[in-house]
Amino acid sequence: MAALPSKNLRVALIAAGVFVGMIGLSYAAVPFYKAFCKATGFGGTTQRAEKAPDKATDQFIMVRFDANTSSGLPWEFHPRQNVMKVKIGEQNMAYYDARNIGSNTNTGTAVFNVSPASAGAFFDKIQCFCFTKQTLKAGQAEELPVSFFVDPALLDDADARNIKEITLSYTFYPATDPAVQSKSVANSN
Amino acid sequence: MAMAYAVKDDHAHDDHSHDPTGWRRYVYSTNHKDIGTMYLWFAIMAGVLGGFLSVLMRMELQQPGIQIFHGLAQMVYSLPDPATVTDPAKKLAYEQGLLDNGMQMYNVFVTAHGLIMIFFMVMPAMIGGFGNWFVPLMIGAPDMAFPRMNNISFWLLIPAFLLLMLSMFAEGPSGMYGVGGGWTIYPPLSSTAGTPGPAMDFAILSIHLAGASSILGAINFITTIFNMRAPGMTLHKMPLFVWSVLVTVFLLLLSLPVLAGAITMLLTDRNFGTSFFVPSKGGDPLLFQHLFWFFGHPEVYILILPGFGIISQVISTFSKKPVFGYLGMAYAMVAIGVVGFVVWAHHMYTVGLDADTQAYFVAATMIIAVPTGVKIFSWIATMWGGSIDFRAPMYWAIGFIFLFTVGGVTGVVLANAGVDRTLHHTYYVVAHFHYVLSLGAVFAIFAGWYYWFPKITGYMYSERIAKLHFWVTFIGVNIVFFPQHFLGLAGMPRRYADYPAAYEGWNRVSSYGSYISAVGVLIFLYGMVSAYLKKVKAPDNPWGVGATTLEWTLSSPPPFHQFSTLPVIK
Ligand code: HEM
Ligand SMILES: [Cu+2]
Repeated sequence: MAALPSKNLRVALIAAGVFVGMIGLSYAAVPFYKAFCKATGFGGTTQRAEKAPDKATDQFIMVRFDANTSSGLPWEFHPRQNVMKVKIGEQNMAYYDARNIGSNTNTGTAVFNVSPASAGAFFDKIQCFCFTKQTLKAGQAEELPVSFFVDPALLDDADARNIKEITLSYTFYPATDPAVQSKSVANSN
Repeated sequence: MAMAYAVKDDHAHDDHSHDPTGWRRYVYSTNHKDIGTMYLWFAIMAGVLGGFLSVLMRMELQQPGIQIFHGLAQMVYSLPDPATVTDPAKKLAYEQGLLDNGMQMYNVFVTAHGLIMIFFMVMPAMIGGFGNWFVPLMIGAPDMAFPRMNNISFWLLIPAFLLLMLSMFAEGPSGMYGVGGGWTIYPPLSSTAGTPGPAMDFAILSIHLAGASSILGAINFITTIFNMRAPGMTLHKMPLFVWSVLVTVFLLLLSLPVLAGAITMLLTDRNFGTSFFVPSKGGDPLLFQHLFWFFGHPEVYILILPGFGIISQVISTFSKKPVFGYLGMAYAMVAIGVVGFVVWAHHMYTVGLDADTQAYFVAATMIIAVPTGVKIFSWIATMWGGSIDFRAPMYWAIGFIFLFTVGGVTGVVLANAGVDRTLHHTYYVVAHFHYVLSLGAVFAIFAGWYYWFPKITGYMYSERIAKLHFWVTFIGVNIVFFPQHFLGLAGMPRRYADYPAAYEGWNRVSSYGSYISAVGVLIFLYGMVSAYLKKVKAPDNPWGVGATTLEWTLSSPPPFHQFSTLPVIK
């Protein structure tokens, strides 16, 4: 029994190691979750592509456009078209309009997703104003284009093939939130 | 409040003449029994407070409209009284402000009630209280492996609890007080967006401390159970209560760090500009829900597993038979623990998971019903043909089996993603988790309390009062929670201070039930006080041949230091 204290210490250290390991895993879940969403379109995460497939299908799908602005950004932000009927596989262009109605220059970033969530894996953007930050001077208006296509693989997916309508939604947030301005440098992209 | 041990009148064991006395005995305590006793006192105190909050919530919900919380908010937070204002516009604004504050306060009560009952009542009672007291006794160990760490575990709970209390009085949403987001503290309501004030930070730190306390406890129990069993006490001979604590502390060790991680991310999002859950900066609030429930589902089993252990001891003692299917019982708990880690998203069916993912979580969740069923049937089989002694602990144990089964059945209903689409966040869920917790876990705690009270204190309690306590509580809690199934099925959402008049009937019934339950609590306290006053000496083993575990071989209460020569188990 003389060895008991060291035996105890060993078990305790192993248990403490498990604890620390699990904390590590919970942080590792963050990049893992992001990668998972990107890969699977989970939660309506859209995809990014270089170019549209070579030939479009002859199937049509409706794409709706939604725009929101955070209360922290004095911008007007609207889709120019509410809905488009597009050919699956074909490259399309849609436009949003943004106008700074405040009295200062602001920079915004647009956060986006599509619904239903299962369409995320099949909604590909080639160019988008949401890939970069947008800066508008007081009173300035800007046309914001997005070019996209709906991946024909959607037609073969058990979950997604019955989708008749996809809604693409954007929310503009101030890129430099004054409350966190000094701290958010690391996250500014 | 003195918990007298047989230290002084049991000279055979009194060779340690430096046994501490007075406040030092408790504050500096490294004795597993004293620490267990403090945990039990703490749990009773927290339970009474958490119960008080719930009765106020039921008073509010007795009728539609806001009955008491605007007044309560005005009183507690000393807000201006609209009656003293003459300007009509100002008066209206004040009244609206009071109403808003009242409704926020209701939600603060919901949150505090949940957190208190989980972290400061059930866990301290089962793990810290009964676990500390009886794990070393049942395995024939002189104490816990790390007595000083045990002391720290307990004393961490006090600041944790104080921080939670503090959060109720600190600013939460702007111009209002406390954390109203529920015990699940989902962002963005818990982010700076929803709760900018420090109340949220206090609550997060409170959970951190309570978690640290539990983790230290878990490490201590694992070491004790692995290394300090008496000669011959193999794992497969351990009493089921010890098994249940072993599985529970493993769940704690694996799940609590994930909660700690999640709330730390929340804290840094709030205070240091990180963006784990902030969508405007690329984060995702849904990630919090995944992390929370990866902890949260094992946590609900953490709350009930030691109860399973207690029920096994009690049923076997009063049926005068060993538990039916001992190994099956032990490994059913292991199975519940393991499968419990892969079912978390059954709390998240409505967040937009795709059909395949939902199908998986439905199937995995239903699988848990199998080992749970094994346990229920084994308890019944243990009683079957036994010469049952209907003492108070047995009443509570049988009540437990009945009520826990009802909660288990509604759980299986909720496991169906399609059904849950309509029932999620309604009172059906509230009814479900109260059948397994405030009826299941709490009945198990009372079964343990009446079973071990003579051993812990050395006094017998009045069997009549204990049974009266049982019946009043049994009737009361069923009246509280059974009608909530109907409210949920009718679509009444949870966590609101008000509701459409159509829901009034069953809400009224439910509220009356909570007053009956509150009387039950008073009977419990009365029975305890009267046992201390009457001082009817308890025999070493009041329960007869069925009580076969080691604690019944010791005096009641056991000596300050037991097993200085280790017992040998054959
Ligand atoms: C008879 C005594 C009790 C009564 C009358 C009662 C009543 C309530 C009420 C009214 C709510 C709020 C529901 C809502 O507004 O959505 C609630 C929530 C809750 N209760 Fe109880 N309760 C009791 C005992 C317990 C016990 C013993 C536990 C723990 C073991 C417990 C755990 C919870 C939890 C976890 C919640 C959810 C909190 C949340 O989701 O925000 N309750 N209870
Ligand atoms: Cu669960």
